[in-house]
Amino acid sequence: MKVSRDVTFDEKSSWDWTDQDKEQVQIPSQNSTLIAMIADEDTITGFLLVGMVNVDLRRKTNYLIVDSKTMVKKIEDTFKEFTAREDIAIVLISQYVASMIRFLVDSYNNLVPTILEIPSKDHPYDPTHDFFLSRVKYLFSAESVASGWR
Amino acid sequence: MGEEEEKRSSENGVESKEEEQDEQENNVLRFLDSLDSYLVLMDSLSSTLRQGWMELASARHSMGASRINSALFDLKHHNAATSLEVNHHDADTTMQQTCFTLCKWASPDTQNLCSKEAKLEEGELLQRKASSPQIRHRGASRSSASEEVQEKRPQPYGPPVTVDDQVQKERSKSLSVFGALVSPKLRGAQLSFETALETLVEIANIRSSILRAHDQVQEGMKTTM
Repeated sequence: MKVSRDVTFDEKSSWDWTDQDKEQVQIPSQNSTLIAMIADEDTITGFLLVGMVNVDLRRKTNYLIVDSKTMVKKIEDTFKEFTAREDIAIVLISQYVASMIRFLVDSYNNLVPTILEIPSKDHPYDPTHDFFLSRVKYLFSAESVASGWR
Repeated sequence: MGEEEEKRSSENGVESKEEEQDEQENNVLRFLDSLDSYLVLMDSLSSTLRQGWMELASARHSMGASRINSALFDLKHHNAATSLEVNHHDADTTMQQTCFTLCKWASPDTQNLCSKEAKLEEGELLQRKASSPQIRHRGASRSSASEEVQEKRPQPYGPPVTVDDQVQKERSKSLSVFGALVSPKLRGAQLSFETALETLVEIANIRSSILRAHDQVQEGMKTTM
């Protein structure tokens, strides 16, 4: 079944899962999807050892190695490309790299592919910068204030 | 009689309100438990990745920096040996949950390596929370977290030994990118990253549970208002 995946990078900051959003990202069943990676060399090397790297006929890969010379534009374009591909179910992104394109990551609203921020060798995981947790926190506090549970 | 009926109906009304409140509290509890599991798994992921990086650094030290390098990555066409299966699981008409299933070390000879994993129900989440976060172990036997992680085994086409050989073959293939003879530390790094990958898939499934629990809480609030 073909899945429509409208990737929205609008300025909507609230996390409002409407029925339309859910319909758009419904994937009843999808076999053999990939995990994409945007991370430093060591992380990519490690996940290469586990057989996660895929190279298609056009030599397009499912990873981007980020180093000191990588331009932010390149990271943005790769993020948009990975989140638009239908054969990718999860996008792993180092948290420090996600911070470089924070606006893009925070405005991403789709369920699949899901974005997972992971720690890197030089930058440990910081839960305050995890976009998923900050959204949950916002939602929870907003809901509790609105309902008067506090 | 009329008064008695009124009394009964008001009692029923109070009971159903209490039941709704209990259900709502359970939903909130599930939401918070899922969130707690998420944080525990993230912590576990951090330590597993740290171990993997350490082992990779050790391997690089013993084999040489030129032998463990992104320049050696194979850019010829090849499929990933590890992939994901995405399933959409309807709890009811309004709430849906996405489930990710990891398929490791699939080769062209063993295409249907993915066996259906049990879906992560909220009950399982609470049970997982009660024990320490366990690495998902696949295979015929369950092992403790301290033992080596076992791979997912498909329905065997032949004797089990054949499947193990296939998995070992795929593992060796991944290691062969860095040469025929590799440091044991590199093999150790491979296992660590394998564990990290399993944790990542669990995290993805937990997030799906958090969303579902949040939807249930929202739904409950709408009915009580």
